[in-house]
Amino acid sequence: MIAMWVPVDPLYGQDHSKHASHRMILDESGMVMNHNEDELPRDCQAISREYEFKVSAGTEFAQHRPGLTFGYDRNEFEVEPCALVRITLTSVDEVRHQWMLHGLPRYLYPGGMFHLEAAGGHTVSGSFIVPSDDRTYLVHCDITQHMEKGMKAQLKVGKGSGDLWAVPGISKDFRRATYLPRRYWYWFALLLMAIPVSTLAIIFARRH
Amino acid sequence: MKSRRAWLLLLAVSLAGALLSYPPQWYPLSLRLQLSEWFGATGFQPLPESVQVQSEQAEQYCPDDPAGWRQQQQIEGVQISASLGCEADNPFAIAAFVRGTNNVSQAVLIKSGLTPDAVVKGRDLDGDGDPDEIHIRLEVAELNGGSPESGEPVTQYELAPGIKPGFWVFVPKYAGMSTENFESSRARKLLRVPSPAIRVEQGDKVFITLENSHYMPHTLHLHGSDHGFKDVTGEGNDGVPIAGGLPVMPGQARTYELQPREAGTKFYHCHVQPHVHVMMGLQGLFIIEENRPNNWLQTMNIGAGHVRVPSVAVSEEYDREYDLHYTDVDIELNERIQQNNDPRLIAESMHRQYDTTDATADYFLLNGRSFPYTFRESLVLVKPDERIKLRVVNGGRDGIALHTHGHTMTITHRDGVAAKPGALVTRDVVWIATAQRLDLALSTTNDGLGSYGSGIWLFHDHGSKAVTSNGIGPGGHISAIVYDQYLGDDGWPATSGVSWDPYFTAAYYRKQVPVWESYGGDRFSGVGSDRVLLVRLLLFAIFAGTLLATVLARVVKRD
Repeated sequence: MIAMWVPVDPLYGQDHSKHASHRMILDESGMVMNHNEDELPRDCQAISREYEFKVSAGTEFAQHRPGLTFGYDRNEFEVEPCALVRITLTSVDEVRHQWMLHGLPRYLYPGGMFHLEAAGGHTVSGSFIVPSDDRTYLVHCDITQHMEKGMKAQLKVGKGSGDLWAVPGISKDFRRATYLPRRYWYWFALLLMAIPVSTLAIIFARRH
Repeated sequence: MKSRRAWLLLLAVSLAGALLSYPPQWYPLSLRLQLSEWFGATGFQPLPESVQVQSEQAEQYCPDDPAGWRQQQQIEGVQISASLGCEADNPFAIAAFVRGTNNVSQAVLIKSGLTPDAVVKGRDLDGDGDPDEIHIRLEVAELNGGSPESGEPVTQYELAPGIKPGFWVFVPKYAGMSTENFESSRARKLLRVPSPAIRVEQGDKVFITLENSHYMPHTLHLHGSDHGFKDVTGEGNDGVPIAGGLPVMPGQARTYELQPREAGTKFYHCHVQPHVHVMMGLQGLFIIEENRPNNWLQTMNIGAGHVRVPSVAVSEEYDREYDLHYTDVDIELNERIQQNNDPRLIAESMHRQYDTTDATADYFLLNGRSFPYTFRESLVLVKPDERIKLRVVNGGRDGIALHTHGHTMTITHRDGVAAKPGALVTRDVVWIATAQRLDLALSTTNDGLGSYGSGIWLFHDHGSKAVTSNGIGPGGHISAIVYDQYLGDDGWPATSGVSWDPYFTAAYYRKQVPVWESYGGDRFSGVGSDRVLLVRLLLFAIFAGTLLATVLARVVKRD
């Protein structure tokens, strides 16, 4: 199954007006929102394993990928169910970048997200605990067009729930330009000629 | 064919059928006249019935304001005046812009949506009670862009119902998501057209850092503001790639600096391929206010419009101030970012395939919106016997002939330079060429010249294009001067003409809705079709086809 968008939590539609409990840290190095290293999801008895991932974000990680501008140094994370995951994000550009995870249970993470934001040249860290079900979570930078131009990743818990579309290095774009040769009308003329040629060939073949 | 007789019969039948089914109204004129002579006129046939076309539900004219942003309020010592139109700016962002994001509490900063370094205000160098070192950070955002996944635009911004062309804008440095909230695809309020109106004080040391968060190179050009060609480090400071220095590449940042000696209404915009980038929205007002004591300025006015914390100098002479930023959109340019995702293809599409010499503007915006959304955000709200300051910039391709109903305007400054006091021009249509700015004084004293009294007085470009959206009127950048007597509690003007329901539907601007259907009844509704003619034509096609086949069967010999 290819998951096309963010998996929607059954508790979707919760009241967003109470934003006080966003556990937000906002300072010169960036932002951490919904950091959680001790409160377990309802379906977990204990933390299964601890992971620490160091992630770098910037234009240099898209240089080897034609047609993309921004990137992470890795596009896939695999963890066990009920794992404690610590992410250390560094923006190696002179602009800020984010590492946002969507689809977490909303009773534990307001908005269902875990959000790291690193100012240009800075590093921030934060942790979250994943529930037990096998699922693939969307990871991306939400600055306009950063995800579309390559800053997208996925985090698989357990067996995951398939790959997301358009994850650089992992899956194809759902919508993609044709990239036909520049002087495509020569090729089209050739293709068009194939129609009468094959028609005539069949007619002549049947006659003899 | 089995026999010649069968063939002849089929030929006769199809010929007769074709002749009979052919619509008489299309017979040659001479035949029709001859038939009229013999038989008189054909019997009465009523014209097709009217049909109701409009089926879309109108949007709510005036969105609710649950958080009370429109009210007068004081936040951490900043007096923010009421802005009683439908939609008002986030007062927490305004407070952060006035005090500096480094000078507000964490709670206010979080509610403003800005980063701690978005607007940093430093020392008071001249000891007059307000900061004179201003550090501003700007990023570049894309609205209604394309996506390698979805066919819908991302980070959506509507300039009128259903109209979402792509835009590139300068934005303040914000923290968190680009969309309103977790489930919405709409851009958050800080990200919009036009780029924010920036205010600094004459003599301030100003540092503007462009953090290029976009996938194209950009620069900042401080049009009209006193700035050096190079900065103190010897780097280009004018933002012109062919003259002063390389553009700022994606992911990079560059700081531009100025210490303006002259006050006035100026302009700022990108100067990389400006015929494309400026037209995409990378342009904003840059206002240098006269130096006064205790002059804490609202460093950014998001989306231009009402200035809720005016400067000391403006408050001395005027009761209210409005920034009016006019732009236009050629849909053939702005839609290109939605057609491809690869920056190389987008760059080629926009800078090599698009020909600006063939450009025609289709949409006309005031403060980033067209009618009817202009009435939510960009009304000039007034009371009688006031003096209103309007700072107007024309960022469009064509000149604007700005006309105010019910009032005349006095031009006080041209491109930020004061007009001679004894030679002020007062008129009801002012011409503003591309990139010119005019400071206008509006008087609401009912003296028959400055103002004719209270009302809902439209103001708009008097050229016929700019009052339409892609040819559909009313549209374009129509807005109004609305006196308090005519303003509802929710911020919507108490109009007494036609219903606005059709204008608040996307169908109206897709050219689908008959112009006066909402109040003209059947007389001006849509038109049904002539079913009789349709059936005749179908029968004719069948008979003519059979006739042709019958003839060909005889003509083309089979083996």
